[in-house]
Amino acid sequence: MRGAVFLDYVDPWINWAWLSSHVPLVLDALGQHVELTLIAVVIGLVISVPLGVAAHRFRAFRLPVLGTFGAFYTIPSIALFAALVPYTGLSGTTAEIPLIGYNVLILVRNVLVGLESVPEDVIDAADGMGYRPFARLLRVELPLALPAILAGLRVATVSTIGIVTITAVIGLGGLGALIYKGLIESFHTPLVVGAVLSVVLAFFADLALAASQRFLLPWAKAA
Amino acid sequence: MSFLELVWRWFVDPAHWQGSDGIPTRLVEHLHLSAESVAIGALIALPVGITLGHYGRFGNLAINISNTGRAIPSFGLLVIAFQLFGLGDGPIIIALTALAVPPMVTNSYVALREVDRDVKDAARGMGYRELAQVLRVELPLAVPLIMAGVRTSAVQVVATATLAAIIAGGGFGRYIIDGFATQDYTKLFAGAVLVAALALATELSLSTLERALVPRGIRLLKVRVAPRATAIKVA
Amino acid sequence: MNGKRSSVWLIAALAAIATLAAACGATSTSGSPSPKGTITVGGFNFPESTILSELYAQALEHNGYTVNRKPRLGTREVVAPAIKSGQIDLYPGYAATDLEYYNNKAKEASGDVTATTAKLNSHLDPLGLEALTASAAVDQNAFAVTKATAQKYSLTKLSDLAPIGGQLVLGAGPECPSRPFCLPGLTTTYGIHFKDFKPLDTDGPATRAAFKNGTIDVGLVFSSDGDLQALGLVVLDDDKHLEAADNVVPIIRKQVASDEVKSILNKISAGLTTKDLVTLNSQVSLQHQDADAVARAYLQQHNYFS
Repeated sequence: MRGAVFLDYVDPWINWAWLSSHVPLVLDALGQHVELTLIAVVIGLVISVPLGVAAHRFRAFRLPVLGTFGAFYTIPSIALFAALVPYTGLSGTTAEIPLIGYNVLILVRNVLVGLESVPEDVIDAADGMGYRPFARLLRVELPLALPAILAGLRVATVSTIGIVTITAVIGLGGLGALIYKGLIESFHTPLVVGAVLSVVLAFFADLALAASQRFLLPWAKAA
Repeated sequence: MSFLELVWRWFVDPAHWQGSDGIPTRLVEHLHLSAESVAIGALIALPVGITLGHYGRFGNLAINISNTGRAIPSFGLLVIAFQLFGLGDGPIIIALTALAVPPMVTNSYVALREVDRDVKDAARGMGYRELAQVLRVELPLAVPLIMAGVRTSAVQVVATATLAAIIAGGGFGRYIIDGFATQDYTKLFAGAVLVAALALATELSLSTLERALVPRGIRLLKVRVAPRATAIKVA
Repeated sequence: MNGKRSSVWLIAALAAIATLAAACGATSTSGSPSPKGTITVGGFNFPESTILSELYAQALEHNGYTVNRKPRLGTREVVAPAIKSGQIDLYPGYAATDLEYYNNKAKEASGDVTATTAKLNSHLDPLGLEALTASAAVDQNAFAVTKATAQKYSLTKLSDLAPIGGQLVLGAGPECPSRPFCLPGLTTTYGIHFKDFKPLDTDGPATRAAFKNGTIDVGLVFSSDGDLQALGLVVLDDDKHLEAADNVVPIIRKQVASDEVKSILNKISAGLTTKDLVTLNSQVSLQHQDADAVARAYLQQHNYFS
């Protein structure tokens, strides 16, 4: 496939020679991408579950939580990454703060939807069986909320994988660094490799989470 | 002077309201990129989604292609468009349109699928021909969910249009990129505020449009639309 | 009970993922650092800077240092804070432009590279930074037009632009309006007032594309670019000497600037010429070789690896 001709040098969309001699570079980028994504999703989840439970339990908490993180969600990621640089530098922390913030919105919403979908009679039955509120939460409500939480995890993960590429403008990027290299050096191959691997990563992450649902919740039909 | 005061001063400064880097110019640029992309995207996505939803065919395929499409990093999409088509608004609009299509396809397909079977049968029974069924019966019922898709698309496109500045595009993203490049954090912050405000305005105006499009009878029915799952944020 | 089992599995899975992520993080700093220490080399977001930082990085690695590379960080406004705060230890600077950045545009730079570098060091010293020996290789701002534009207005030098500035659009990186050797310099030294300024990129693909489709008439390029002739661009002569001694000079944090490090970097600077820069740049921009391959070939050719 021929690429755009700028200088009468035709740059193939994938230069296999370049690719085979730069495997460590690509793997490094992939590793950084996976690392940034995992941290954002895991920490996002760890924050969202208690926050969601609290918002579910105390009605007054709901609007402030959804409102704050909802407002945060509307700010374009590039603005947040750039704005944090003077405070947290060109580091993973600068990347993670907005990524985690976005994931908290997605996951808190889904935790809430999940908890709210637990039928009243199940809760009554649990109470009737003698469960105290915390035990009921852990053993009855959260497991029943899992389908919604997992659905949220899928959205959060795919979303994060896409936005991590944008951190290339603050010196990180994961696979986005390949995309950025392709832009600055007018070079197709790293651009294509970075974009394609991003999609592949998102695809497999989504697949893995969907599969884990079947594993974790054998009784529930996969959404 | 506190940072917020600096930002306020930036907004109040008349110099920032004129010229090629002024707020009105950048607003028009941003709107132009976003509106064209969503409009073209809708022209492609809605007929496809509505038709597939009406006949109930190839829906899963369409939705899977949509989801895969949405996983393409928006940054990558813009750079690919630049390398394919060069500098200017055209390539940016092509990339943003590609981004706008998936949520609208998915939502309009699901919206048509969710129209009550009985209503469709009644329409057929009353003698409506195929196109009339769609236009006069199914679409009005499907409007809320379709509009939700358009709204999601539009807000995402407005946010992603900020990235266009990386490939020398215009719009409010310029304040963010240029502010970062020159360490002018007041400008950067102002740019972020402007984009967030524009995204909010887009959401509100499309909600109003939706309310206007939903037939009075259905609005009175207070049919609850399935809670909208949070859309995948792409920028 | 199924509910309990699921919760336990979920928590176990999360713990496994968290451990994996932590392990990845621990090993991502490639292996155990050398006893000589780690040096982080940064660069600006244009190809020549990547090439220069690769020259430094590979030479240091060859001498037993562990090097972290952080290329394409951005403009000096991003790179300078990074070195000041220790996030990077070294970057390939340009004497005159760096001087005018660190002295807050006090207009101290001149065509004399020794004086310029000395003045630069006087400003870097209190920051814990140091500019090493400047190279003979120079890369200055240069303003170019297409051949067609040059013919249309009979342009050969920058002062030719003064009478017709109001008909022309200037394109450069977003930092240009705040750089003394860029837009402000053109206004004060040459009296040129452009019709408009378009922020594009710093000597990158957007600037080149803007020339091609007529979005800009005059554009900022770099004097050591290797593809100007191939693109049909004409550089206008700096007849009033706006540009100063922008010789390549390593800017390093004193903390990592041991005598050995300094001598390694000075050796590279000593051997580097402007012609070398043009050749290296054209290998990357015209022949699409990779910056690190090009740097390695250069170092081998000049026996830095023996």
